[in-house]
Parts: sequence; C-alpha cells; structure tokens
Amino acid sequence: MSLVVDGISKRFGPVVALDGVSFTVEPRRIFGLLGANGAGKTTSMRIVLDILRPDGGRVTWQGTPNTELPRDTWGYLPEERGLYQRMTVIDVLRFFAALYGVDGATATREVDYWLARFRIPDYRERKVEELSKGNQQKIQFIAAIIHDPEVLIMDEPFSGLDPVNTQLLKEAFLEMRDRGKTLIFSTHQMEQVEELCEAICIIDRGRVVVHGPVRDVKRAMGRQVVRFATDGDGHGAAWLGTLKEVTIGAQRADYVELNVPAGTDPQIILRAALERGERVTRFELGEPSLEEVFIEHVGRPADEDERHLARDQVAGR
Amino acid sequence: MRNLFPNAWHVARREYLQRTGTRTFVIVTIILALVGFGLAMLPVVIRLIEGDDVTRVAVDAREAELDQDPVTALRLVLDAGEGSAIEVVAADDPEEARRQVRRDELDGLLTLRRENGDLAFEYFGDAGLTDRSLIAVRTAATQLAIADRLQRAGVDPQQAGEIFAPTAFQVEPVDPDATDPDELYGQNYVIAMAMVILTFTAIVTYGTWVATSVAEEKSSRVMELLITAATPRQLLAGKVLGNGFGGLTQFGAVLVAALLGFLAQGTVAERVLGDDALSLTGIDLWILIPFGLLFIPGFLLYCTLYAGLGSMASRQEDVNQVTGPMLFIGMAGYFAAFIGINTPDASWVQVLSWIPFFSPYLLPARTVLTGNVALWEWVLAGVLMLILLAVAIWVAARIYSAGVLLYGQRGSLRQVWRAVRVDR
Repeated sequence: MSLVVDGISKRFGPVVALDGVSFTVEPRRIFGLLGANGAGKTTSMRIVLDILRPDGGRVTWQGTPNTELPRDTWGYLPEERGLYQRMTVIDVLRFFAALYGVDGATATREVDYWLARFRIPDYRERKVEELSKGNQQKIQFIAAIIHDPEVLIMDEPFSGLDPVNTQLLKEAFLEMRDRGKTLIFSTHQMEQVEELCEAICIIDRGRVVVHGPVRDVKRAMGRQVVRFATDGDGHGAAWLGTLKEVTIGAQRADYVELNVPAGTDPQIILRAALERGERVTRFELGEPSLEEVFIEHVGRPADEDERHLARDQVAGR
Repeated sequence: MRNLFPNAWHVARREYLQRTGTRTFVIVTIILALVGFGLAMLPVVIRLIEGDDVTRVAVDAREAELDQDPVTALRLVLDAGEGSAIEVVAADDPEEARRQVRRDELDGLLTLRRENGDLAFEYFGDAGLTDRSLIAVRTAATQLAIADRLQRAGVDPQQAGEIFAPTAFQVEPVDPDATDPDELYGQNYVIAMAMVILTFTAIVTYGTWVATSVAEEKSSRVMELLITAATPRQLLAGKVLGNGFGGLTQFGAVLVAALLGFLAQGTVAERVLGDDALSLTGIDLWILIPFGLLFIPGFLLYCTLYAGLGSMASRQEDVNQVTGPMLFIGMAGYFAAFIGINTPDASWVQVLSWIPFFSPYLLPARTVLTGNVALWEWVLAGVLMLILLAVAIWVAARIYSAGVLLYGQRGSLRQVWRAVRVDR
C-alpha cells in the first residue's frame, strides 16, 4: 500500500498554490518531487504532513487518511532550517524525540549512532549555534528521523551542502530506504534525483506535468540520446547535422549529445561515421537526462530562477 | 484535553528551563527581589533617616519681656507633645545664630517680640509649612502665646497649667481588633494599589515573554519542526505554561521578598527605631489566597491570548504591534482599577470586578478596601474566568495554527478573524 495524493488543491487568497495535484509514492522507495521555486512542492508536502489542510482532495497512507494518522508516521526536514540555537545538540534532539514519545535512552542511542555516521561525534554537547550550517543541517536530519518514522519527507535536503556532506546524506537516504522507509524529497537539482530516485513527479505552477517511474518518464520522451565523440574537430558536429533523423542537443567539451527519435536505430550514426572514416572515441546509448525531461515539460530549467539571480548578482543589479 | 499531555509538558519543561536557566534571569530576579524587599522596608528607612535628624532651633527672646524662660517653656511643650526630637537652645548672639542657620549648623532661629503687647514669632529657616518639626514649633509657640495672654489677663499660673493639661480623647474603632481605622484604610489602600500594579506588571511583562517566545520560534524556523511533531494546542499550552510559570517564578520570588520585608517591618522598626508604631498589624494575609486563585487563571488567560497573537508576528520586532490589543485590554483593567479603587462601593466597580479581564485587578482590591465582598462574588468571578479561559484557549489555538505558518504579513485584526473562522 502506498502514499496516495489524490487531487489536492489549495488557494492562498487569490493565489492558486495547488490545482488538483495527484501522485502515488510506492513504499520503500525514494521519490523525487521536482519543480521550480514556487511550483507548489512545499505546499504539497505540508498538506501531506497535515500541517496545512487542502481546499479539496485527500491524502492517504496505506489506506488511512493522513488526518487520522499519528504524527510519528512522518519525519520532516523543512526547507527553512531551524533549531534552538542556544541548546546543546543532544538536548535539542532529545527534546524532539520526547515530542514523538521516544524515551531518553533510545533517543541518546540513536543520536550517538547518527552523529558517528555523520562524522561529528564530538558535537554532542556543543551548542547548536557553534555548528556550521552544513553540520546544523545534519542535526536537523537526525531530528527528522529520530523517532524512526515510516515516511520521511524532506524539502530541498541537499541545498547548501558541500560535496562531502551531500555524499554522507545520500548514504543516509539509502540506509533509510534499506531499513524499509519511504522517502520523498523535493529538489530543483537534477543530479541527486538521477542518482537516488526510482520515481518522480514534476510540478509546475500547482499542476502535475509528469509523474511515474524515472525509466517510464524518460521513455515517454519518445527519443534516445547518443553521447558521441570523434577524434575530429567539434566531434563531427558539422557533418552530423546532415543526418536527417538526428538532431544535435547539448555540445559538451568532450562530446556531443544527439537526439534520436524512438523509431530510429541509433546505429545509423555509427555507420555514417565509419563510412566517412571518422575515428569514433565515444558512442554511448542513453536516455534523456531528467534535466532534459524537465525542460521539455516545464519549458525552462528547474534552477532558472537561481541562474537569473546569479547573473543579476554578477551584473551588480 | 485529550492528547494535550505529555507533549504540552515537554514543551513547557523546555520553555521553563530555557527561560529560568539563564544567568540573566537569575540576576534580574535577585535584583528585583532586593528591590521588592527594599520597597517593603521603605517606611522604616524613611523613619530611620528622619528619626536620626534632630532639629535644633535657637530661641531669641530678649525683646519679648517674658516672665518665664522661653527656652524652658518651649522645651516643656515640645517634649510633652510630639515624640520627634527637637532641641531648643537659647540664642545668645542672634547674629551668630543667623549665620549658623545659613551654614546649616542650626535648623532655625525663632525670634520672639512684642507687637501691641501680644507675643509675635518669627522663624528663620528652610523648613516648609508642612514640615513636621515646624508644625510642632508652631504649636508650641501658640501655646506660649496663649499662656502669655492668660497671664496678662490675670490668670494665676497654677490655673493656667490646668488649662493646658491634656484632654481625655480616646478613639474607639468599629472593629475592636483593628488598629486606628484611618491608618488601616490607608494601609489597605496601599496594599490594594500594590496588588493592582503588580497584576498589571506581571500580565504585560510575562505576557510579552510568551508572545516573544512564539515569534522567536517562527523567526528561527523551529516552528515547522515543532508543528510536525506536536499539535498546535499542545504547543500553545506548553508555551503558556512554561513561560507563564517561568514568569511566576520570578514574580513569586519578588513577592516573597516583599512579603518578608513587610513582615519584618515591625521587628526591624522596633530594633532600629525603638518603637513599634510601624508594624502593619492590620494586614490580613489570607487575602493572598483568593487573590492567587483568581490571579493564576487570569494570568493564564492573558498569556494564552498573548501566545495566539504572538503567532501572527513573523519577527520579534513585530511582537509589540501584534500584541497591541492585549496591552489595551490590560491597560483598561488597570485604569478601571485605579479609578474604582477610590469608590470601591460603587455598583459599576462591583459589576466590573466579576468580569474576567478586570476581576484579577478589581475583586482583590475591593475585598481589601471594603471587606464586604461576598463569597459568591469570588465564585462567580472564578467561574466566568475559567469559561473565558476555555474559550480563549480555543480561539488562540485557531489563531496559532494559522499564524505559525504565516510569514511575511503582519497580523491585522482581519487576518486574526479569518484565522479563527477558516480551518487552517
């Protein structure tokens, strides 16, 4: 039995935040909720958690409406991080554990396990305010899972983490899944989704644009991608354009991406290259990236806002 | 109440420990307790300072042509009359005496003259007309003048002495246990006033604590974690109880210190001043029990509403603005009590003293001042208070559950109303 989000809608005054959003999350899987800023990810999560009530629609987990589920069903990592800054790590975590009905000894054991796993065992008695942002985020993750929830819901869990901490968090995700937990996280960074998620849902302006297992979503794009490189200049981009069925996608430093429609055999590219006497150094069949899937469905990259922002900042605007 | 505890207890415990565990809290509480004790001791201190001060008055009576020695006569009258220490000395050199007054070595120079045969007095000194020593000197001077007139009228000094013999004047209080009724009313007035001021201070100070701590959790974004872990009602109850009792801890410490000061007043006065005129024997400390029983739910009522409104603020800077209505209600009770305290028997005061927001101020004040507040009035006020408290918890929880996730906008009354009506 799965988590079923069935046609939820929510308005804030004149703003329609969600308009009939539906998706299904299979248990014991990692599920990605994708969308640009303001698409409705956080609102959807809050409704699943029953912090917000939807204007319409319903949410069930294993057949039970979320309004009737005990609160310790869920673990939540909000996008806006916040902990009691003046308390020690152990006190904060034990406080949240107590709210979920976890006794002190169990909580302490769990905290020690996770602190060691996140390689910060000596921060136990430190005050939260003395920790770096990345480490506070790890503490917050522990706060979200300390009561061993069935479903873990995380809003942009990777934002602001350095590569080392990102890796640690990914490993923690996989461990939680192996423990039989269901994980849902939102992001607008596609790399993590590619790596972790078995199924996704893309939301744009309060509506679901595509939803399902990653493999199906990619196949539904109706094309294949060939990553191709030759010894020649520009990896043969010039003559590749003459192939009728093939369109040139992204041009990277060491290869080009070629889009091939579903009904066409990608081998024609290889054949054409060999006929021309090119030395092929890379020929890799693949599916379109989630980035491409996202752009195709939403019409712009998921992190477009950030790109604009970064450009504006560089331009000094 | 279902499911309210133990989470409300966990929240309350954390709030209480965070609130009272800081060095600032401990220091502030100690300082306030010392101030409370000091204020309670103030009458003794004032008497101590005044009592030490001997007023020295020089008398120049060379032009008065008196039969008796004016210094002896004045000493006689002054010592017999007021207990305050006034020293009378003869001014042998009036010019030197004037200089001494200017140098503060003497408090005053009393010059006696004859004007159309009658005695006239002139006092050279800084004392105001209401100064206790000056009043005593004036009374003595009047007696001296009357004695002089009697003598000139041919009354025999023996008879004159009889004329000035103290009159029998006894005050019989209505309540034989009470001390001087006037003094008692004065004392009770002070006590009633003190209770009103303390109630107001506690409500506003600690109510703001509650509101600030709610806003703090919103601005630090801990709220989102909390709201997933506990229900709004559990959080609200925990906040109110934790911060409320944190406040009451400080309040209680100050109150106990002040009370100890009051109780010790008599003993200290006796030791230091050698008289027991100051002991507040008329105070009935039993009033504190019904006062407490009404004050605590009243206090919680205010705190609950403060918490609800505090949840409308996104930042701590907004707390004062969103809790404005509470300050307004608190002030209304405060001023009503201040006006009502002067007419504690008026019917509007009586009715107002049953109404929840006003009863913590007015009912104890009325009880202390009039002494004829019936038990049923206390019960009525208590029941009304509890009913309103229940309603307030419901309303505040609605505001709270809507408010805690509302960022950016500051709460207006319309938003509060919408929060109460709409289901999250």
